[in-house]
Amino acid sequence: MNEALALLWPSFLVAVCLVGIHVYFGIQVLARKVIFVDLALAQIAALGATVAFMLGHAAHSPATYGYSVAFTLLAAVLLAFTRRWAARVPQEALIGVIYVVAAAAAILLIDRAPQGAEHLKQILTGNILTSGLDEVAVIVPLYIAVGGLHWLLRRRLDGAGTLAWEFVFYATFGAVVTSSVAIAGVLLVFSFLIVPAAIGVMFASTLARQLAIGWMVGIITSAAGLAASFAFDLPTGATMVCAFGGALALAGLLYGLVRGDRRGALRAAIATARWCAVAALAGSAVQLAASPRADQPLIDTVEYAFPSLRALYLTRAEATTFEDAGAYAERYRLEAEQLNDLEKRGRTEGEAMDDFSVARISSFLKSYGEMRKGEQFVMNEVRARARERIRWGAGLLLLAFALLLAPVPWARLWVRAPR
Amino acid sequence: MLRRVALIVACVTSASPGCAQDRIQVVTTTTDLRSLTEAVGGERVAATNFVPANLDAEEYQPKPQDVLHLRSARMLVRVGLDYDLWIDRLLAQAGMPQISRGGPGYVDASFAIAVLELRGMSVGPGDGHAHGSGNPHYWLDPKNAEIITGTILEALARIDPANTASYEANRSAFLDRLRAKLTDWEAALAPLKAMPIVAYHNSWPYFARRFRLDLVGIVETKPGVPPSPARLLGIVQTMRASGVRIVVREPREPERDIAFVASKAGASIVTLAASVGALPGTGDYLSLFDANVEALKSAAGAR
Repeated sequence: MNEALALLWPSFLVAVCLVGIHVYFGIQVLARKVIFVDLALAQIAALGATVAFMLGHAAHSPATYGYSVAFTLLAAVLLAFTRRWAARVPQEALIGVIYVVAAAAAILLIDRAPQGAEHLKQILTGNILTSGLDEVAVIVPLYIAVGGLHWLLRRRLDGAGTLAWEFVFYATFGAVVTSSVAIAGVLLVFSFLIVPAAIGVMFASTLARQLAIGWMVGIITSAAGLAASFAFDLPTGATMVCAFGGALALAGLLYGLVRGDRRGALRAAIATARWCAVAALAGSAVQLAASPRADQPLIDTVEYAFPSLRALYLTRAEATTFEDAGAYAERYRLEAEQLNDLEKRGRTEGEAMDDFSVARISSFLKSYGEMRKGEQFVMNEVRARARERIRWGAGLLLLAFALLLAPVPWARLWVRAPR
Repeated sequence: MLRRVALIVACVTSASPGCAQDRIQVVTTTTDLRSLTEAVGGERVAATNFVPANLDAEEYQPKPQDVLHLRSARMLVRVGLDYDLWIDRLLAQAGMPQISRGGPGYVDASFAIAVLELRGMSVGPGDGHAHGSGNPHYWLDPKNAEIITGTILEALARIDPANTASYEANRSAFLDRLRAKLTDWEAALAPLKAMPIVAYHNSWPYFARRFRLDLVGIVETKPGVPPSPARLLGIVQTMRASGVRIVVREPREPERDIAFVASKAGASIVTLAASVGALPGTGDYLSLFDANVEALKSAAGAR
């Protein structure tokens, strides 16, 4: 546990810093309705870095950072102008075009700068897990400077100002996003930016309260995401993004319960859940009846959770064949693993294994693989045939379930309407 | 008159074996196979590779020019083992039966190689390779070069039987040099036998087997998926427990993640080239091993 804390707390500290500035910018971005502007800016910064690689600069050199900043400033000019052009075409459309063109241009350049490929990937996924105090030491002064500037200019930067003030907004935002995306990746930075700010805007109307709610939500969700990533052994960035998605859903539910008509919200939530279940059941029914040999996601999942349910539609002989094949497949897998282990140990322990023995192990492994595939084929075939047999009956049963679950007032339909 | 002289000159030059038009055009998917093809083909072969040295051949995106290269080629050499699957689509598009599977100019270099780490389809969280066909980095065992060059020789003899003797001579000269080098490399890496090593991507089982290196862990669980915190912690604990002092990185792999793992466990990073040309000074197959052996040796000696 202590080891885990020692591993995770630097990432948590970085997340807290990122939440601090991004909630503020998120509220601004929501007010301006330029939701995807951070993606565009991040991609432009990555393009700048790729150009620097192409010209032969090292990955973390000042020159590379300079190119990133220069490109970001250029993009800020473009973005400041987009509002003026946005009379007929929505501003988001122009921002989207900037994003895709920057991304495509970077791909074109990568051909000439192979090191850039890793950088572009880093931009998308980042890795908050391996960041720590070094990053905090860089971003905290930057964020304090940007935050202070915005506080001083708070009257000017409300989104109604002139082109020059718009440029200042986008340039500072670009500086923040360039640094944060390099740490956490585009997906996570987008979550930091939009989700806590959206929840803040949902529940409060003054900037101070929106910020307070956003910071609280952001910090708690980050901690939950990091913990879940450790507990369930999942990639950290993606887990945190999903945690933010969950937080937004929860906040939406809570908003309905707290603010709106409580009963109406509850009823709407239950109806949504029921319709989802109906769609899943009816879809499975149609899928089973139409192509019983294809994947049956719902049935497969239920069977995976409760294997005994297979007994409902397999004959005794089929069930025996199915189980035997499963057991053999597992046995072949284990035998293959043992051989792999043997070879691996042979690399360092005892006398070196000669090439002939290794070739023999290799061909045994190939045979085990084929045999295992054969057993898996038997399992699939047995199950597919049984499903073909029951396609109409089980399909109708599932459909009946779906209809029963549908939030339609059946009772009222049965009673004849009064004239 | 002048034109006729020019024509004669052109004819004479094109008849000489070193001339570009007369050389057999060979395309390979990777730089390693190009180097080995050149070692066998010598002057009579003009080999080009599709994937630049520093890019991941598994994620290569073919370009329109590649189809043209394929159309002008008489022989294709590929890694196989699901490593360069994109070439199949390219071949289908180029419509060249003589260099497609079953054709005389088609060489799957993995033919007859003893493949390591075969795991059927996919067996849960393994060592970073999702392939069903085993680990594809077999060219990193220098002894496998004997088999690979043999397969290449066979194909060259098939499409250019007149020069078989010269190809055979080229190959045995190359293998003589390789065997001499192999003794040197084994001697140089002998002190590393008891030294556990961790790599980021699972490119090194063949290399480790040949030189008897103890590869105790792989950072990446699946290619391209960032490791989870529990995984990182596990790797760091393994490294501390078995006293790993060296973390192997390839030039295209993320610097920061590797530096993180290395610093947590107090190990140093060695950058090795998994392909010809991935690092300066690795221009051909032999110098690839020269450079890697030198890098490993100095990293171990620095301790």
